[in-house]
Amino acid sequence: MSELETDQTLQINVTRKRSPGTTAMNEEEKREYQEKYRLAKLHGEKFFPDTIYKDVLISFALFLLLIGLATFIGVAPEPKADPSDTSYIPRPEWYFLFLFELLKFFPGSLEWVGTAVLPGLAVALLFLLPFIDRNPKRHWKNRRFAAGLMSAIVIGMVALTIRAVVTTPPQAEATVAGTLAEQIVAGQDLYAVHCVECHGADGEGGKIQGVQGLEGVTLKPINSQDEMYTRSDETLYAVIELGQQTLGMPPFGRAYSGELSPGDIESIVAFMRYTWDDRAEMPKAAEQASTLPVLKPGETPDYATHIEPVVKRYCVSCHRPGKENNNYLMRTYDEVMNSGDHKPNIVPGNLQSNLIRMLRREEIEAGGPMPPSKPLKPELIEMIERWVIAGAPEKASGPATK
Amino acid sequence: MSESDAVNASRRKFVTATAAAVGAVMGTVVGVPALGYLASPALEAGGTDAWVPLGKLDSFPVAVPTPFSFTRSRVNGWDKSTRSYTVYVLRDEAGVKVLSSRCTHLSCQVTWQADQNAFTCPCHDAKFGAQGEVLHGPPPKPLDTYETKIEDGTLLIRVVEA
Amino acid sequence: MASKWISRLDERTGIVGVYKTVFDRKIPKVNWWFTLGSASLFLFSVQVVTGILLSVYYVPSPDHAYDSVQYIMTGVQFGWLIRGIHHWAASLMVLVVFLHMLRVFFYGAYKYPREITWVTGVVLLLATLGMGFTGYLLPWNQKAYWATTVGTSIAGTVPGIGDFILRALRGGTDLSAVTLTRFFAAHVWMLPLVILTVIGIHLYLVIRNGISAVPKDHE
Repeated sequence: MSELETDQTLQINVTRKRSPGTTAMNEEEKREYQEKYRLAKLHGEKFFPDTIYKDVLISFALFLLLIGLATFIGVAPEPKADPSDTSYIPRPEWYFLFLFELLKFFPGSLEWVGTAVLPGLAVALLFLLPFIDRNPKRHWKNRRFAAGLMSAIVIGMVALTIRAVVTTPPQAEATVAGTLAEQIVAGQDLYAVHCVECHGADGEGGKIQGVQGLEGVTLKPINSQDEMYTRSDETLYAVIELGQQTLGMPPFGRAYSGELSPGDIESIVAFMRYTWDDRAEMPKAAEQASTLPVLKPGETPDYATHIEPVVKRYCVSCHRPGKENNNYLMRTYDEVMNSGDHKPNIVPGNLQSNLIRMLRREEIEAGGPMPPSKPLKPELIEMIERWVIAGAPEKASGPATK
Repeated sequence: MSESDAVNASRRKFVTATAAAVGAVMGTVVGVPALGYLASPALEAGGTDAWVPLGKLDSFPVAVPTPFSFTRSRVNGWDKSTRSYTVYVLRDEAGVKVLSSRCTHLSCQVTWQADQNAFTCPCHDAKFGAQGEVLHGPPPKPLDTYETKIEDGTLLIRVVEA
Repeated sequence: MASKWISRLDERTGIVGVYKTVFDRKIPKVNWWFTLGSASLFLFSVQVVTGILLSVYYVPSPDHAYDSVQYIMTGVQFGWLIRGIHHWAASLMVLVVFLHMLRVFFYGAYKYPREITWVTGVVLLLATLGMGFTGYLLPWNQKAYWATTVGTSIAGTVPGIGDFILRALRGGTDLSAVTLTRFFAAHVWMLPLVILTVIGIHLYLVIRNGISAVPKDHE
């Protein structure tokens, strides 16, 4: 009890003696502070066990939070760095967003104020704070200016961060192939879209038909042992990215006005390597995903399960926007059924519809045999026929709506 | 004073126990995955098991072990590389035998020395006969052989790796 | 028996004195806000442990950095957990260190006799931000590449010496393999060394001067 009384006496002494915020603490004030601190310790607690207990609990809570975040949210997948990608919206981590946003307010000529002067000033003020702020008072009520200024800064930072988040447009979707198997499957789809019309579904090459500017050019196979053994991944990558223009192959890399990102090209190379190179073994998962569905006897084919994989591999390469295809697009079920200058190309139940006749390599008003260079395998044609007879259903249950 | 000391002592025990328990939980939750993480490549199953063609059987000379090299591409972690193999093909009346070129002692490459009529190992002076049997030195067993088969006159061997 | 060994050990190391100074000390009654410092230290330890584990598989080269991180995420057992913890603890550490700074500020704890403790704390705050900045280039993904391009360009706008700073940060005029290795060196060697040293000084000062008391209304 006597200690408490001493404490109060000291308090009176201090308040009597000075007007706050003018000069640094003098020796007497320092002694008084030390004495008060000694008393506070006397009334205080033991670091071990009292204080450390709270520390242990908080650390453990943070640990649980971390495990939870890592397990249930994880790290968002990002595509590989691509200096040629003009659609990517760069944003720093959230804790630098306020600075990022701040720079929107500085015109070009004054940019250095936002990038150098303000941050420099903030850092300098932080370092020098104890030497600038000589007010011996410690409770925020007695330091209105300092506390107010810091609150304003923090509120400003939070506001800028929120503004940055709100004004950031959504990032374009990008698929990221994690494992080798995923890469191969992604590469197969990309190959089907970008490469098949000239190189064939299995890289067999041959005479190009129906490709503007390259009509009748004969390509060597790219799936041979000769090709695979003597072309490294880097070579294949460069061929796809840059093209071989004297031979008629256009560049596909985005950096050379093609459509493919570096990740896409890597996927195609992985697909080629693991499908055609007999020194490389296809991972099990990729093998399963890349085999075309087989129709069991008596099973009714449907678009989603049986037809789409075939269409994707053999047709979409030409039947997508920007190609010569009489406006017949085949990217979705709806397009397959209802697009094109000669639509409908598929009539449920009718084996005389355009698509079937062209698959059977008939020359009709709507066009020549399809695919132009090489017929589909008979079992695939049969599967498509059975699908049309069954009413061309989109999903396993029920016939088509139209 | 002594009473508060006793309280303090029991609190210390309690806090020490709590800290130890929390430490043990964190150590286990991170420690066990960390061990799995470090040992991960050793726990992976995928190896290779494939029939590799060595060319027309007729092209290999009779009764002389003939070296043949080939590569297999492999994925190890993020690294896609090729691994080279050298085998010796020995063709005689009995059929065909394909021997590994790796010494069974400590995996050095053996070479066929026609003048000595033996495979010699450059590391610890081991010698193997044409059939792979140990003639001299420390190797514990004969040279490994590959399972073979012949399809349309082409010799194939089965390459298995754990 | 145990005490005999402790006294023998103490005779040779002075361990009991260290224990008494560090653990067996009185401090003023403090509230939960005072745990932010130890929480920062805890998160730093988490980063050291998970960071060392990540370095087992990570390759600091533009050719392989992305693939090696993908491998950690999909190929290595529990790689997703180790990287997940490292990723989130980085964000949490920035937050906790900043809140710790605010706690010290609003309690006026940077005042006599703890001015130097504050200065070392500012060094730690900046080093933590530096760790964040150098760390997220390392996976060599889109975010890494572009955020670092912007970040280093910001440094490049400093009047007069901007171009010099930009080249020094990037190790050239553009982001390249040289940039990646120097960010890697900063992230795993330089900054951690700075942080470890300054944490040592910071803790010494905290123990020497004692934890500040919660100020009363009139203080």
